[in-house]
Amino acid sequence: MLASPGTTVDSHCPYCALQCGMSLTRARTDVTAAPEVQPRDFPTNRGGLCQKGWTSAAVLGASDRLVTPLVRGASGELEPVSWDVALDLVASRLAALAAEHGPGSVAVFGGGGLTNEKAYALGKFTRTVLRTPNIDYNGRFCMASAAAGMNRSFGVDRGLPFPLSDVGGAQAVLLLGSNLAETMPPAVQHLAGARAAGGLVVVDPRRSATARLADPASEQPAGGVHLAPVPGTDLAVLLGLLHVVLAEGLADRAYLAERTTGFDDVARSVAGWWPERVESVSGVPATELRRVARLLAAAAPVHGGAGAYVLTGRGVEQSTQGTATVTASINLALALGLPGRVGSGYGAITGQGNGQGGREHGQKADQLPGYRKIDDPAAREHVAAVWGVDPETLPGPGLPAVQLLRSLGTPGGPRALLVHGSNLVVSAPNASSVIERLKSLDLLVVCDFVPSETALLADVVLPVTQWAEEEGTMTSLEGRVIRRRAVVAPPGEARSELWILAELARRLGAPEALAFPTDPAVVFDELARASAGGPADYSGLSHARLDADEASGGPGLFWPVPAAAAGAAAPAAAVGTAAPAEHPGTPRLFLERFATPDGRARMVVVDHVGPSDDVRPGAPFYLVTGRVLQHYQSGAQTHRVAELERLVAEPYVELHPMLGFRIGVPDGARVRLTSSRGRVEAVARWTDAVRPDTVFMPFHWSGIGSVNQVTTDATDPVSGMPEFKVCAVDVTVAPAGAEPVTPPVEPVETLATSGLDKLDRRRPIAKELST
Amino acid sequence: MNLRVPVKVVVVGFGMVGSRLVDELLRREPEAFDITVLGAEPYEPYNRVLLSDVVAGRTDVAAITMPLPDGARVSVLRGVTATGIDRESRVVTADDGTTHPYDHVVLATGAAARIPPIPGLRTADGGLPAGVHALRTLDDAREIVAATVNAPRVVVVGGGVLGLEAAVGLAGRGLSVTLIHNVPSLMERQLDPEAAAVVRSGLEAQGVAVLPNCLSSEVLVAGGRAVGIRVKGNPDRVPTGDGGAAQRDEVVAARLIIFSVGTIPETGIAAEAGLSTDRGIVVGHDLASPDDPRVHAIGDCAQPPEGSRGLVAEGWDQARRLAEKLVSLVEPVFALVEPVSSLVEPVATPAEPTAHLRLPHDAAQPSMAVRLGALLAGGATTRAQSDRGIDTRGTDVVKVKGGPLSVTTMGVCGPSRPKGATQRAVRLADPAGGRYVEVVVSDGILVGATCVGDPRVAADLTAAYTRRTPVPVDPAFLLLTPVMPTAAPASSPEHMPDDAVVCRCNGVTKGDITESCGAGAHTVEEVARDTRATTGCGSCRDAVCGLVDWLQETKNPVPEPA
Repeated sequence: MLASPGTTVDSHCPYCALQCGMSLTRARTDVTAAPEVQPRDFPTNRGGLCQKGWTSAAVLGASDRLVTPLVRGASGELEPVSWDVALDLVASRLAALAAEHGPGSVAVFGGGGLTNEKAYALGKFTRTVLRTPNIDYNGRFCMASAAAGMNRSFGVDRGLPFPLSDVGGAQAVLLLGSNLAETMPPAVQHLAGARAAGGLVVVDPRRSATARLADPASEQPAGGVHLAPVPGTDLAVLLGLLHVVLAEGLADRAYLAERTTGFDDVARSVAGWWPERVESVSGVPATELRRVARLLAAAAPVHGGAGAYVLTGRGVEQSTQGTATVTASINLALALGLPGRVGSGYGAITGQGNGQGGREHGQKADQLPGYRKIDDPAAREHVAAVWGVDPETLPGPGLPAVQLLRSLGTPGGPRALLVHGSNLVVSAPNASSVIERLKSLDLLVVCDFVPSETALLADVVLPVTQWAEEEGTMTSLEGRVIRRRAVVAPPGEARSELWILAELARRLGAPEALAFPTDPAVVFDELARASAGGPADYSGLSHARLDADEASGGPGLFWPVPAAAAGAAAPAAAVGTAAPAEHPGTPRLFLERFATPDGRARMVVVDHVGPSDDVRPGAPFYLVTGRVLQHYQSGAQTHRVAELERLVAEPYVELHPMLGFRIGVPDGARVRLTSSRGRVEAVARWTDAVRPDTVFMPFHWSGIGSVNQVTTDATDPVSGMPEFKVCAVDVTVAPAGAEPVTPPVEPVETLATSGLDKLDRRRPIAKELST
Repeated sequence: MNLRVPVKVVVVGFGMVGSRLVDELLRREPEAFDITVLGAEPYEPYNRVLLSDVVAGRTDVAAITMPLPDGARVSVLRGVTATGIDRESRVVTADDGTTHPYDHVVLATGAAARIPPIPGLRTADGGLPAGVHALRTLDDAREIVAATVNAPRVVVVGGGVLGLEAAVGLAGRGLSVTLIHNVPSLMERQLDPEAAAVVRSGLEAQGVAVLPNCLSSEVLVAGGRAVGIRVKGNPDRVPTGDGGAAQRDEVVAARLIIFSVGTIPETGIAAEAGLSTDRGIVVGHDLASPDDPRVHAIGDCAQPPEGSRGLVAEGWDQARRLAEKLVSLVEPVFALVEPVSSLVEPVATPAEPTAHLRLPHDAAQPSMAVRLGALLAGGATTRAQSDRGIDTRGTDVVKVKGGPLSVTTMGVCGPSRPKGATQRAVRLADPAGGRYVEVVVSDGILVGATCVGDPRVAADLTAAYTRRTPVPVDPAFLLLTPVMPTAAPASSPEHMPDDAVVCRCNGVTKGDITESCGAGAHTVEEVARDTRATTGCGSCRDAVCGLVDWLQETKNPVPEPA
């Protein structure tokens, strides 16, 4: 149900996991016109928005918005067809493939940008209608290592087990591999306390925008310390920090005795990582390691500090030792007595908009709703009962993303792939081999709202709703369940995935009892029941309760939120009778106990080995990848916004002038990066923000400027997460006469609502200047 | 199912290298070996490298305890000294009467501290008088720490790496420290005299009195306790302008005397077993004795063809290489099993090496030094080839753990630097600033460096050296932390360029704000509405405020007071 013209609804930004609060005002004229965006006071963004958020409405009216189903016709081109034709085609092909090659011949790839309802329905559809084990999602590229590490140590994975605003009160924050000043700018507000105390420690091989907040050379007064390890050695830095904490007697012994297991083994394991050895491995001076360890310890409650946080991001997690690095971060936090204490803790900063919710409701290869394990008989029984199917019919665990993509079109591998909310061609590692696998499929179906690079390879493209066109819920980086609200009508024939899945289920002969409701509120209620009793328990929540909480200015609802009645067998019976007190939600986890069987956090021994693709003659430089403020992930959305596109119009490679001189690549020249997997080219930008042994390239582009053509698809042995963040490359001047860097996209001008038309004349941001 | 008969490995010595070998074997093949470890010290394994940190009070003694091997097939006997090797019957005997049969025996007996033969240094029972210590074992470190309580004056004999660490560490505890060194130049194996002079100044700045070119000729003992040491000029050395040090003959009072004048490899058990020994136990590139392929030696007790510097990184690299070799020796067992089983059914597929948390690709992950060495040698990456071409680069980085005194050397440095023209040495000497940096470059690669007094440069050089990353066209750039000239924070908005980004979150430049004010905006709020500056994280609010104020002032200039 849409708001009436001119009215305003409260919703959230379509991009990252910060889920900044914004108000959307529906135009008075056209129901499909983009709404006006205004920031709104919300605990994560406190009234702030970055440029992506301000301009987000432009994507609703993208000039190449998909408005009708497309099927690749005899000509080889994608041609518009009716929904019936498209859905009949997809259903018949899927059914035929399953009949001939078994249900495993169909695979599904989801996304961390889908609403909770869509993610849940997608998992249910895969397990009950397609009955294939082969489902995974792009969260495997972002959150898998953090999830594996937190599950192993804490027994549950909620990225931030505390409200983000808690971080604001900390005296020290150790931020590893996160450039949040660029990836979620309004979050910088929560670092103010640590910066004021000189306690912001940023670990990043680059002097990123976030590192500059801590770097005395860039900011006056200095907010803290920037450690710039050699790429791929963050784990050694963490082991060294823990070594110093123990060597100098700074650990919280009482906490360790009371709340953890495994400390002795971990303590011994870091005895071999003294600071001078860590310096040899990581390039971080031993004196800096000692200083940082003391700074963190001084902020810890045991030493009377005001609190400390250890936070990790993709920079350290997208690694073949990502889970180990998360574990080492947790070990350090535990040694300092931080997790499970108000005002201190460990957390992973989730990236994608619904990166948290997306990993809880069953689109992960090994998982059922409620963050249950698919190989747990009790979990299978519970979820099967909610779905009204025999637990025996549920498939087992499937392949994680990289392995799933590698198996596409291979003998015995899947022959059809359904893609939802993901642009694999740009975002997957070793992208050229992924493109090859996608092309080898019998059937590729892509649901998207714009013709992404992946959609352009598809046999069938289905146009879907986005963001301000749909109702649903998201779960933010802090585990807060929030409402996404519709304010405009979708263009053309775009439909929600909920409808598409229901239609496909019907066409594939799903029994009446196996329901695929299309009302997001109804889907949410079912999701809540399916999650009941699981680690991520939503059973006490409903759209109505979330709306009521928000309307009353409530504190927000953080999972787990179990249903109120102890014997929740018949929740409907509670209506009308004396309603038992509702569970208030759980803003802070672990205050009493960890979610492990014995209630203690597990310290796990890990060791540093190094990156899978290390420098060598022929590839003597490190490549690190990351994001820029103006673009989001594969850029499918942000390249379509004129204001953003003008500021950062093309990919670039940051390199140190010493390297530029050495290889003869002047500032502004075209540079080529070559790895054993492929090559890319982009404009060289000289900067001393990168180490002379390292180059940086953002990953928002396709084609010759797509850095994931070069990155490695080696994966973490525990989490299955690929090592996006470090590989070995050669860096050379690009030969003349090469292909253009960016394919033409026609971006949409932002609505000139309040004199912002001046923004149109801005020139590209070529360099960063501090003030 | 494991059809293999475990290979019996006896490891003599449970120090850092012996325990590392056990760890390396278990990571690769947890089931393939029955391992017995004989450790003479009664303690759990500890990090010997950190004993100087214990002395300095920089580390808790408990924090240097190393991991115990975890494996069902490992037995560690602590406080048990191996007394002999019967190579005929392949048995190691121990002082507790036990015997230990082996298929392979690994000697990792380490080295003992060298105690020079000077009067007063040996008591009637052959021990050291009270107050005199070496710094080699945990007991030494503990006793030194205990002794500091009643010994305000300390003498450290030996100006090598360990002597420097002990001297700086004890000075840091507030003791009065004198460092005696037998030649004019400190750390003469690693440093040029010029660099050593900078180090000496650094030591003196830490309160250490340095007596170079001096020999300790007698330890003065009273009541069984050391009370001082007689120091004489070294007659073998021509005085080098050091105030006639050669004529020196004086007594330095000290109730704590620490000898750090080198080590003697523990070769006794090998020699008695009839194995070749020289300075250490002689081994080949394969770390096996030339006399018996079943006997291996690694760490400080070994004397491999490439020589030994006594660094733990070398010993660890040897442990890794030996583990790879021993593992490769058990592999032929599969070949024997395979044909038999393949007749029936493939029942005995060789077990995958079990990953120990994080070492999934051991075969593909030799140490960086060896990987790089192998690649450089001819593009080959296989284990066998990398083992043949031994390249110890990366294991020879020396970092003095000297608290505020930073000294790092690697590769070609000091007297080891050849005079050849192929290598280019560039140096920065800044004695007044306590700094000395030298880099040695060959074929575009850093092959050696000396860095005193600049920990950040030292860290960068180490990274470049161990990874062989290409050096700048002009190696002189390596002498400093590389920085680009950046615009200093503008002292006034006037000097800020128009394209300076003021609001990062929304990409708003000074020019945008100027334009907004020019078009009529008067306040931050109006500028924010116009440009979105300050509407992201809000960090730039002060800057925007300042700009707006300045723009207002320049628009309506306040008349200068006359």
